Amino acid sequence: MRKFKAALLSFAHVHAPSYARVLKELPNVDFVAIWDDNEERGKAFQKRYSVERYYSDLERLFAENRDLDFVIVTSENARHYEHVKIALEHDVHVLCEKPLTTNLGHADELVSIARRRGLKLGTCFVMRFHSATIQAYNMLRGGDIGLPVSITTTNHGTCPYKAAHWFVEPELSYGARVNLREGDPRYRGGSITDHTVHCADLLRWFLGSEVEEVYAEVGANIRSDLEVEDNALVMLKFRNGVQASIDCSWSRPEGVYPTWGDVNLYIVGSNGVIEIEAFNQNVHLATWKMKRLVYSYWGPDVDKVMITQFMKAIEEDSEPKASGWDGRQATEIMLAAYRSIKEGRPVKLPLL
Amino acid sequence: MQERPLKVAIVGFGFMGQTHAAAWARIPEAQIKAVFEVPARAPQIRHMVSEYGAKVVTNYEEILEDEEVNVVDVCLPTFLHREYVVKALKAGKHVLCEKPIALHLWEAREMIDAWKSSGKKFMIAHVVRFFPEYKQAKELVDSGALGEPRIARTYRYSAFPPWSVKGWFGVQRLSGGVLVDLAIHDMDFLRWIFNDEVARVYALSPERRVVKGITAQDHGIALLKFKKGGIAYVMASWAYPKTVPFSTYFELVGTGGILQFDNRSTAPLRLGTSEQYSTIQTYPEDPYYLEIRHFADHILKDVELMVTPEDAYKALEISLAAVKSSLTGEPVSLPLKEEVIP
Repeated sequence: MRKFKAALLSFAHVHAPSYARVLKELPNVDFVAIWDDNEERGKAFQKRYSVERYYSDLERLFAENRDLDFVIVTSENARHYEHVKIALEHDVHVLCEKPLTTNLGHADELVSIARRRGLKLGTCFVMRFHSATIQAYNMLRGGDIGLPVSITTTNHGTCPYKAAHWFVEPELSYGARVNLREGDPRYRGGSITDHTVHCADLLRWFLGSEVEEVYAEVGANIRSDLEVEDNALVMLKFRNGVQASIDCSWSRPEGVYPTWGDVNLYIVGSNGVIEIEAFNQNVHLATWKMKRLVYSYWGPDVDKVMITQFMKAIEEDSEPKASGWDGRQATEIMLAAYRSIKEGRPVKLPLL
Repeated sequence: MQERPLKVAIVGFGFMGQTHAAAWARIPEAQIKAVFEVPARAPQIRHMVSEYGAKVVTNYEEILEDEEVNVVDVCLPTFLHREYVVKALKAGKHVLCEKPIALHLWEAREMIDAWKSSGKKFMIAHVVRFFPEYKQAKELVDSGALGEPRIARTYRYSAFPPWSVKGWFGVQRLSGGVLVDLAIHDMDFLRWIFNDEVARVYALSPERRVVKGITAQDHGIALLKFKKGGIAYVMASWAYPKTVPFSTYFELVGTGGILQFDNRSTAPLRLGTSEQYSTIQTYPEDPYYLEIRHFADHILKDVELMVTPEDAYKALEISLAAVKSSLTGEPVSLPLKEEVIP
């Protein structure tokens, strides 16, 4: 494999440090530049990962690094569009954190720019790169449980606001202040935006089918200090007849619960079941110093697999396994959940 | 020997009737006097019944007219509950009846009306309230440890009961299917632990059955929206392969924290043989015994009922709303305005 020159745009997202670590660890990557509008943060990570150059001006990054192969965009959700677009217009391949955008028109535009310019646009659906989901995919497609019938999924988490407060600021997490529904003081941009898309993407991938209809219910908030929703349940009907659900709640108490959350899928088929608890591989650790039990993860390094495969897609000129289009489709499901909550009824897809 | 004040007739001696009989046999104040079964099944149960010192009766009137029998325990298929319960109440018996209370709201209402005018004791056997992990969860929530309940998840699944493949269970209009017969446990428990009423239900159930040869819905997933803003996800299934043991899971998140329990990972005993591998949940006390002990105390000492007939009505209403939603594709608001099971 040839050597790639890469940059990372913004450490706003909590996943950025792990991607930066992977960029440093991979022998065929030159992690040459970091852009961050937060200079203190950007420079701190520049130092931590010994990256050659830090920029506070994004145009300058592209002007001074004309041989860049790809960038990873890990800015706030609402700024993905702007950052991905700039990168694509400089003919750089882009791997973008999920959700790709919070606006379907923006997602369509990014997908079409990438296509027009012959560039790879990937969405960070890391769960497609976990050895358990890959094996489950093969079992499912191999007919081990007959035909899939109904799938219960969860992507629970802690609320990330103490690590990165923008996750609960509607302008940055969703791109606008849109009330959840009439009479509800909360805004879109919480756990539905953050946590619907992983399971939505896994379901689309497993089933090879698109969502036909979405129904969602939002609960009163667990945390009273948020402007956005922190728990919700989403029901999906796929075109191939499979029914599914997603629990996207930030329902694990941060700083208390032994792990960040889960990605679980219970697949009932016509001739058996597949159950995935993807983050079940942990050493249980409790120390007097920590004063609590902690699950210390030892499972697959999905970030590394994802970034490696993205580079392979560039090299082989193939579609990334989790593409910009996949990002767009998951965003549509997330937006449909919001619309269902607003209208109090099931919503048909496509939305546009 | 001292006279036992509770003379019990068990009506229906299938799986539940036998389970209840074993529990009644442990109540010192109770004596099983008679077991009602249809003539075709009478011979095969005779030896089991005689072990309790009871007789098999194939004519229900005989039980109603037996002045000594003062407790009737109805363990018949759901579609027969109303007829047998109302007759027993009118005959002046205390009545315990298996869940679900009935398949139609009008039936449940008629049963409740008959109870109210009878002056007798009446309970629907929602046994989950007597399972120690569920009971403890309720106590923890009531203690305030979790703050206000916000979002819950329940799973309850197994293979389709093997004794029932050709029976009434597999017929949608006789059992109500999995959303009525099985999910009703969690519908009742969720109402109890949220201490709130359900405002709206949305549910999905596959159009094609996983279990071959049955008409009853065998898998269902439902969203409940409570009046005070809480929400819950309910998954109930008979569509699992027979290698999977009966499994339950519960989690509740409140403004103060989270509680979870999982009978798949908390069982204290596992058995592996060349044929099978199973996890075995051993309870400090049999929940069915606790349920029947509670009903006995309700009759004898007027202990307040843990689960009232009105609770059973409400649980049925939620289950029926789920069935209706699964058939119409629309969310269903409570109270239900019409019957769901034809």
